[in-house]
Amino acid sequence: MTGARRRIVITGGTSGIGLELVRRLSGRHDILVAGRREDADALPVLPDGVRYVHAPLTDPEAATQAIAEAILKAGWVKLDNLVLNAGTGFAVDGGIETAGQIRDTLAVNLTASALLARALFPWLDKAGGTLTFVGSVAYKGQGLFPAYAASKAGLHGLARALRAEWAGRVAVQVVHPGPTRTEMHQKAGHDPGRLRTIFIPAYSMAAMLEGVIAARRSPVTLSFGRYWTGGAAWSGRL
Amino acid sequence: MEWTAVSAARKALVTGASAGLGRAFAERLAAGGHAVTGIDRDAAGADVPFDHLLCDLADPGAVDALIAELAARGPFDRVILNAGISATGRFETIPPEAHARLLAVNTEAPMVLTAGLAAAGALGRGGRLIFVSSLSHFTGYPGAASYGASKDALAAYARSIRKPFEKAFGVSVSVACPGPLRTDHAARHAPEGTDAKKRMPPDEAARRILADAERGRAMITPGSGAAMFALLGRLAPGPVTSAMKRIIYDKLDRSVF
Ligand SMILES: NC(=O)c1ccc[n+]([C@@H]2O[C@H](COP(=O)([O-])OP(=O)(O)OC[C@H]3O[C@@H](n4cnc5c(N)ncnc54)[C@H](OP(=O)(O)O)[C@@H]3O)[C@@H](O)[C@H]2O)c1
Repeated sequence: MTGARRRIVITGGTSGIGLELVRRLSGRHDILVAGRREDADALPVLPDGVRYVHAPLTDPEAATQAIAEAILKAGWVKLDNLVLNAGTGFAVDGGIETAGQIRDTLAVNLTASALLARALFPWLDKAGGTLTFVGSVAYKGQGLFPAYAASKAGLHGLARALRAEWAGRVAVQVVHPGPTRTEMHQKAGHDPGRLRTIFIPAYSMAAMLEGVIAARRSPVTLSFGRYWTGGAAWSGRL
Repeated sequence: MEWTAVSAARKALVTGASAGLGRAFAERLAAGGHAVTGIDRDAAGADVPFDHLLCDLADPGAVDALIAELAARGPFDRVILNAGISATGRFETIPPEAHARLLAVNTEAPMVLTAGLAAAGALGRGGRLIFVSSLSHFTGYPGAASYGASKDALAAYARSIRKPFEKAFGVSVSVACPGPLRTDHAARHAPEGTDAKKRMPPDEAARRILADAERGRAMITPGSGAAMFALLGRLAPGPVTSAMKRIIYDKLDRSVF
């Protein structure tokens, strides 16, 4: 419900789109951010009052447990929103990633998302909440980072199935952002060059994402069409 | 003399070769003159016409060791990433370990194997690489959410590497999305009372998939029923997923993983 104070868990809220979303929501709602950084490196970037739990998603089972414990510690019995936004990937030549790159990408983007959705379902169910998977327009296939594309397609499929399974209880959605100006490409070892200047600003993407989360629709692509028609301004608020 | 015969023979690799569709692929390829290496967790029996390596594809260490062994046996002209497990039931009632294991076997292992073989130069020039996904790729799969996700991921991986692999190795990459097959796997996971006769025999699916892969098709939906379902799913994924929910999810009487 618009206006009411919500309890929200956001993964990967320490930079990029996730951090912009945290900034937008933190005054009005209670936020728990989960990230891979130690507390000392995460807390300084987060707005005051935002809770943080160190939970590297490369180990999906351990991270799921850490996040569930942090929710209990916060005394939350219900969860209105779970935004599975953390993501990682590696740009490679010739479509050939190393075993380690494939395993990390799938663990962080796909396996951890599945396990978190499952573990936090009871909290979401109590609130009639919304589960948001952040995918990517790359989910249709992308030779520059095949495992990343695969992981996002996996989220697309997971969301379709869970949306049907949990209909009437928890709203499940997958949102596919288009190219956004964050550090993700650099972290992935890829330089988009001058193209980067036309990428969507992270704060605009976060604004559109907030609107889609409030609308609970799925699947939704958030790319240039919506951005150039002023999507960051007309998207609703949570 | 025998040496030259063996090394000149075309080589094939099939994962999940001990039963079902994988067994059908392995037998067809062997009958067609390929020296076949089959991989599975279970023994295939002594009478099979192919070589069999045991490997638990859920174990990353075992997969890494397997790649080293396969690199020495290659290069392979036909590689079929077929092994898959399922987990059916309400998503939240299936233990996390079962979901994680499924994603490891169905998605991670075939991707790591493919990239490992490619990096080791163990893919034969002009060859075929086939990923076995599922017809659920065209809809959603309520009642088998992590299985559906694993197969969607695999299909997107195949699409991602199709161009780079064509360019680097002259290898044609295909995704196969078979519908229900008459295998033990399907019988174990189908709701009570569904009719096995409506499912395609695995050997027919293997024949159709291999034939389409020879023609270099990117997406293979074996049989007219599968092709029709794929079309419906593309046109109306929402309604078809709802129908899947009524047909499968609402009839679930047990969890199997
Ligand atoms: N930027 C784009 O063009 C684009 C396009 C489509 C989709 N997306 C998706 O949007 C989401 C946010 O991406 P972004 O562009 O904002 O990138 P980003 O700035 O790199 O943010 C990614 C976030 O995920 C966190 N993270 C990475 N690995 C992690 C791990 N192992 N465990 C826990 N957290 C981890 C990062 O932590 P650190 O802060 O410590 O790095 C960061 O907070 C991702 O899912 C991405 O795939 C982005």
